[in-house]
Amino acid sequence: MLPARNQEAMAAAASGTYSYCSRPRALPARRRYREEEPVRYANLMYDRRVVRGNTYALHALPWVGSPDPLEIQRQREAHRKALARKRAKEQHQSRTPEPVEGRKHVDVQTELYLEELGDRIIEVDVECQTDAFLDRPPTPLFIPAKTGRDVATQIEEGELFDFDIEVKPMLEVLIGKIIEQALLEVMEEEELANLRAHQYAYEELRNAELAEVQRLEEQERRHREEKERRKNQQSQLLQKQKETSEKIAARAFAQRYLADLIPSVFSSLRDSGYFYDPVERGLYYFSFFFTGSIVQCSLYIYF
Amino acid sequence: MAHARISAKLPPDIDPTKAAIAFGERALPKLNEELQSPELLTRQRALMALCDLVHDPENVYQAIQLGFLDNLKYLLLDHDSTVREKTTEVLYIMASHNVGRDGFIKYGVIPALSQLLNDPVDICRRNMHRAFEIMAELPRGAVGIVDSSLISSLVLKLKTELDEIQELILDTLSGCLCIEAFEALATGAVSILKEKLTHPSVAIRSKAARVLLGISVPLEGKNIVWDEEVIPVLVSLLEDSDPEVRANAAGALMNATITTQGKYAALSADAIPPLLKLVDDETSKVRLNAIKALTMLSEAPEGRKTLLNHVDLFRGQLNDSSEAVSRAAKIAIKVIEWKP
Repeated sequence: MLPARNQEAMAAAASGTYSYCSRPRALPARRRYREEEPVRYANLMYDRRVVRGNTYALHALPWVGSPDPLEIQRQREAHRKALARKRAKEQHQSRTPEPVEGRKHVDVQTELYLEELGDRIIEVDVECQTDAFLDRPPTPLFIPAKTGRDVATQIEEGELFDFDIEVKPMLEVLIGKIIEQALLEVMEEEELANLRAHQYAYEELRNAELAEVQRLEEQERRHREEKERRKNQQSQLLQKQKETSEKIAARAFAQRYLADLIPSVFSSLRDSGYFYDPVERGLYYFSFFFTGSIVQCSLYIYF
Repeated sequence: MAHARISAKLPPDIDPTKAAIAFGERALPKLNEELQSPELLTRQRALMALCDLVHDPENVYQAIQLGFLDNLKYLLLDHDSTVREKTTEVLYIMASHNVGRDGFIKYGVIPALSQLLNDPVDICRRNMHRAFEIMAELPRGAVGIVDSSLISSLVLKLKTELDEIQELILDTLSGCLCIEAFEALATGAVSILKEKLTHPSVAIRSKAARVLLGISVPLEGKNIVWDEEVIPVLVSLLEDSDPEVRANAAGALMNATITTQGKYAALSADAIPPLLKLVDDETSKVRLNAIKALTMLSEAPEGRKTLLNHVDLFRGQLNDSSEAVSRAAKIAIKVIEWKP
């Protein structure tokens, strides 16, 4: 393990990359949360450790110990010289690449005479600026360019179908249905009208006949009643007559019967001794009631 | 969702208020289902389509077989007025067919219809009364109406309804009175009719007179007519311009003067001269009723005395075109020339 690693390290060192490895070891227990450490308040803006300005041209660690003023001056001189050298070099430096091995660059004039380039296109700069407050005009309708071919066709009359012939069956059905419905309704009404007329005529006759019947009934009734009354009258009359004749007969009979009533009454009374001489009777009774009821006897006699 | 229609815009002559009618046999069953739908628009459209279909008697028959009448009875009590209007219209059109009338009686549609007597919408009531009127023209239908005890409500409605509905009610009543008149008399119909006799509308006058004719057929009717002193009003109507009014008035007089008291009331109201004028009228009904009324009046001695002078008028009618008139004229002559 170790030798392999060393080889690896050497190889790495030779190529220039860095690698490190160590035995795995247990980490010490670390506090999860930081303890309260004293916070050293400092303002970032006034912290001298913060680098200011351009950071990509700085050397690593420009501060090494305390700066020597001489050293600083010498550095500045060197810097200036480098700049001057660079400027001079730039001026003399040709744009073309360095000549290849075994060759040399030479300036050559292709033409005898220098020619002025007069073939310049006259350029004119023109500016345009829209009115600051104008509205943007609406975008024009985008009509794409027509593509394809135009083809036309025309259907002449009578080519597809013949209207008159085709429409016949449909018309027949439509009109047929309409007329059928209309006929039904008309028939219905006619039927009803006929029914009514019939009933009307019948009603006329019926009413007339009914009235006749009732009249005859009434007549019958009246005649019957009249007859009844007359019969009653007649019978009453007869009755009365009978009564009167009976009365007369009774009266006559009674009269005759009672005619010799009085003589016979008197004779029978005399016969039974109701008419007597009171003195005689008195004397007769006197003989029975001698003891003394003279007043009684006289009373009796007068009675 | 795919529709059978090609484009969303309907063709211009199609009626968007009607439901699409299925083809052939399925038309009515499908409409029956649509009628029971909870959605209002579906029901309305189904009813509009049904209105057109029931003009055909075959459809009416099929509809009744399928049990449409129960659904229609249920829809009569719907909240929406359009549904009620259309339902009453469908029922009215059905009633004009005989099959429909039979169906009405069988399924008891008349009591259901009578629930709409107080409906606020005029058209519903008018259609309902039209249906009643047509039912009353049929004897069985009139029996149905009488059985549902509608006569008293109809008579009371006469006082409050609109004119054209009154005409329909009067027609219904004259049909029902042939069956039974007592209920109407009990509701005081005679006094209401007496008012209607002086109504400005001709139709109402003539129909009211016709109802009076019917009401005075039973004896109680005659007595009440005499009681309420309708006879003088009828005599004044004899000179009306419309022949119908004259005919019906003469007919009512004819019935009312059968009783002795009616006769004397008419004689005291001086009925004979106008009636004599009517004997020569153009309408046969007028002539018939006038001759009959005069016959009634000639049974009373005073009437006979007056009419003996006019016997020739009756002889002129002996050869009348209408057989009934000539018969009546013969009877009249016989009665006038009768000696006790």
